[in-house]
Amino acid sequence: MSARFIWSANSREARTYKIVGWTLFVIALVLFTFAYADTAQIEIFGNGYALSLPRASKAIAFMIAILGLQVVVGYTGQLVLGQSFFFGTGAYLGAYMVADHNWPWVLSLLVVVPVCFIIGAIFGLPALRIKGLYLALVTLGLAATFPSIVQLDALDEYTGGASGKTVSSDLVPPSWLPLDGISSIFQNIPFFGQYFGEGDLSSSESERIWKFFLFTVLLAICIWLVSNLIKSRSGRALRAIRDNETSAAVSGVNLAKDKTLSFGLASALGGVGGVVYVAELGIASPLDFTQLLAINFIVGLVVGGVGTLSGAVVGGIVIAFIPDWSASTESFPGIPERWLQGPTGVFILGALLILLTFVLPGGVVAGMRRIKGRILQIVPQPPKGARVPTPPDGADAELRHEADEITAGVAANDPLTDEPKD
Amino acid sequence: MDLFLARLFDGLSNGSTYALIALALVIIYKATTLINFAQGEMAMFGAFVVLVLATEQGLPIWVAVILGMVFSAVAAAGIERVLIRPFDPYDHLPLVIVTLGLFLSITALAGIIWRFDPRAFPRMYPAGTALTIGNATLTWYTVGVVATVLIVAGLVTLLLNTTKIGLAFRAVSSNIESSELAGIRVGPTLQFGWALAAAVGTLGACVFVADPIRQLEPSVMVRVLIFAASAAAIGGLDSLWGAVIGGLVIGMVQSIIVPYVGFIPNEMSLATAVIVLMLVLLFRPSGLFGTARVERV
Amino acid sequence: MSESANDIGSDAVATDSPRAKTIGDTLLDVKDLHGGYGPIRVLHGLDFHVAEGEVVVILGANGAGKTTTLRALSGKLDATGSVMFGDEDLISKKTADIVRMGVAHVPQGRGTLPELSVEDNLHVGAYIRKDKEVRADIDRWYDVYPVLKERRHQRAGSLSGGEQQMLAVARALMSRPKLLLLDEPSLGLAPLIVQDLFERFRRINQETGTTMLVVEQNAQLALSIADRGYVIESGTISIQGNAHELMHDDAIRKAYLGV
Ligand SMILES: Nc1ncnc2c1ncn2[C@@H]1O[C@H](COP(=O)(O)OP(=O)(O)O)[C@@H](O)[C@H]1O
Ligand SMILES: [Mg+2]
Repeated sequence: MSARFIWSANSREARTYKIVGWTLFVIALVLFTFAYADTAQIEIFGNGYALSLPRASKAIAFMIAILGLQVVVGYTGQLVLGQSFFFGTGAYLGAYMVADHNWPWVLSLLVVVPVCFIIGAIFGLPALRIKGLYLALVTLGLAATFPSIVQLDALDEYTGGASGKTVSSDLVPPSWLPLDGISSIFQNIPFFGQYFGEGDLSSSESERIWKFFLFTVLLAICIWLVSNLIKSRSGRALRAIRDNETSAAVSGVNLAKDKTLSFGLASALGGVGGVVYVAELGIASPLDFTQLLAINFIVGLVVGGVGTLSGAVVGGIVIAFIPDWSASTESFPGIPERWLQGPTGVFILGALLILLTFVLPGGVVAGMRRIKGRILQIVPQPPKGARVPTPPDGADAELRHEADEITAGVAANDPLTDEPKD
Repeated sequence: MDLFLARLFDGLSNGSTYALIALALVIIYKATTLINFAQGEMAMFGAFVVLVLATEQGLPIWVAVILGMVFSAVAAAGIERVLIRPFDPYDHLPLVIVTLGLFLSITALAGIIWRFDPRAFPRMYPAGTALTIGNATLTWYTVGVVATVLIVAGLVTLLLNTTKIGLAFRAVSSNIESSELAGIRVGPTLQFGWALAAAVGTLGACVFVADPIRQLEPSVMVRVLIFAASAAAIGGLDSLWGAVIGGLVIGMVQSIIVPYVGFIPNEMSLATAVIVLMLVLLFRPSGLFGTARVERV
Repeated sequence: MSESANDIGSDAVATDSPRAKTIGDTLLDVKDLHGGYGPIRVLHGLDFHVAEGEVVVILGANGAGKTTTLRALSGKLDATGSVMFGDEDLISKKTADIVRMGVAHVPQGRGTLPELSVEDNLHVGAYIRKDKEVRADIDRWYDVYPVLKERRHQRAGSLSGGEQQMLAVARALMSRPKLLLLDEPSLGLAPLIVQDLFERFRRINQETGTTMLVVEQNAQLALSIADRGYVIESGTISIQGNAHELMHDDAIRKAYLGV
């Protein structure tokens, strides 16, 4: 309670803060979109670091997959390491629907989501019996098999075998959207206008902007859905399973149903991430979906922060940009160039994973919250407000306590962090 | 029949590698109920050290192997002290995360130092054929690999059953709290387990890439870990000889059953191992040889 | 204490008449002991002592802090205060070192090493010893408690509850301790077996002079072999006295003897 500012959640200050915060965030996002529609580079020590929209879109794909891991690992406490399997399934299935059946991308989700949900739920069934490290082992094994499954001779005509499945993007922005107009407005801002290029957007630029916009909306929908689930009765059941499976069962949680739901949902999110990935890249190749990707997702989960929704966003950025940027680093003071030519990105991710487990087990998000907590605290309203979740009838005091904590957590968030309250 | 025998011999040599890595997994699992996901990568790194000692320093291959095993043991002891011991041994999530971090860092480190071009590994066993039955040939490599596994498993058993550190190790595996109350220093005992496992694992990686049909490169053990884990699970994850038998079984399944059963295409052997792993865990969680210890949730 | 486990002969167990025992200087002196589990504080300033050769019992209801007290003595808990063992303060010493100084602890629930053979359990008990008499001590235990000999190659987990408790005590004594800590040895055992067990404890104390600090809920039996006793309530000592007095103390009779 030593923060500089302490506001109650319903106070005018807190609401203004929220509205202003979100508005600034959206404006920053739009500016970013138009500024980096063209592949832009930052120069540091003579290395060019790309900050382009395609990379950001790739990061969104990863964010959605990590969001799935938040559900099953972060909130349900099941050690699932095989998210790359579902990411790959989503990517291939999406590419197949679009390339071979001419479905629009958005509709391909109608196939990918249920299929991944069902496969995930089926793999969740053994998890009712296989626990802890064994589950980690089985799911990692599953992830390892994915490349050989899509390269099966029998599947060759659908998956393209070793060379992968190519698909062209049909995500052309609708003609009524005045992208060029918006762009020229930004270009005319004095002094800053130079960062937005000149003249009309090329067709690939406007397509990138449109894709990034769609992906962002999709991500927002996924976050919204998951945050609602987390706050719901089922969400509380999942957390109860995480904290103590036995006592969860005793207090009336249907382990089979809720675990299966958790697995299904996580896998479905993995699939959605895969669709975004292939929609951005235009190709799904078997070696993109290996164990290494599965472990990278865990890196994103942990570095962002296990059990936080905003952790998925941070994690996606980390695993999308660190390997690319490390690969772009060709010289760095004090480090022999020979070393920089190796897989430094993977090394950094591994070291980061270990380091954070030691110094910041809650991930980057926990660190940011701690800093923010020093400056600003928003305390929840007494339960008069309708938004305080009421514990289920049979729930014990502990659950009730937890519900209060969650409320506090929600209320204390700033626009960029967890579980947006509205 | 010849084909069957040929595949049986193949299965023996593959299975022996799985058995050695499985042994390493089991040693650490016995002590702490932890699965070291970086075991294969640590072994790969050790094999590179052996390769450097043998080809660049010109040491005889078996001398290089022994030195490489010592190197791995020391490195693993250091890793245990710095990265593993600070955590509660029964809180699995941070430990799994640390071993996954090791997985990434060690693969990357090997890639940074030695690059990804495959390198030929020196022969560890005489070339040529020991036995020919029809068209099936049993090479000295296969004979040597199987003998190596049996000798190593025997030595490890002897070490654990007849030495004082072995007694401490078994005690800690059985009940950490009581072991502590008997005056056993738990940390150094688990460190011994990590060192032993790393040494055995490194030998496993060497044996694997010493097969003339293989070469050493940083990702060589990635798939092997899954096979080895299945092998260890068949053995119950805490039985040394169970792991050896499990390794041989997985090797056989891979080379005999997979090609025979027409509908399982060849590249599916990894999937077969995963399915075996899943079935064992589902229907016989304590494996075929393990003690019936319930997984601590 | 060189004589400790050496004197337990089969004849000693067979005889019924207790030898006169000698109570010596204070061996363990606990003052103002505080401790707990992180934020949960359990012990709120305990004071008690145990003299050489004594059997002292600590009585207390479930959750009173008995186990916590013993864990604090063994260095398994962050505790403050003073725990003088001879000339040395055990506070903030490591368990492994405390054991080497001569404190053996049989934890609640016996703490057998179930996957190890009976004989290996005894070897683990002698882990800190470097002398050559380990084998002789094991054989002596086999004479005292022949069941252990019959089952020497079986997994300790396969023994019955009473046998396991006896094995746990034998294992602890294999370290030739100056002080034996016993945490609710009667827990989960049938009354007849408990009686036999306590009788054996009494003899071990008399034959070897091993000092014992026993934590119990079974007040009647524990007091019957004890010299002195304490009652612990919510982490503080509420009553103390010699065993005979305590057995006739009305409050105790009400609370622990069900009279
Ligand atoms: N590991 C633990 N963590 C937190 N509290 C504990 C733990 N063990 C015991 N306690 C608490 O400490 C108190 C004393 O426990 P304990 O010493 O085991 O009692 P006793 O042995 O007298 O039955 C109890 O209230 C118990 O709930
Ligand atoms: Mg107790």
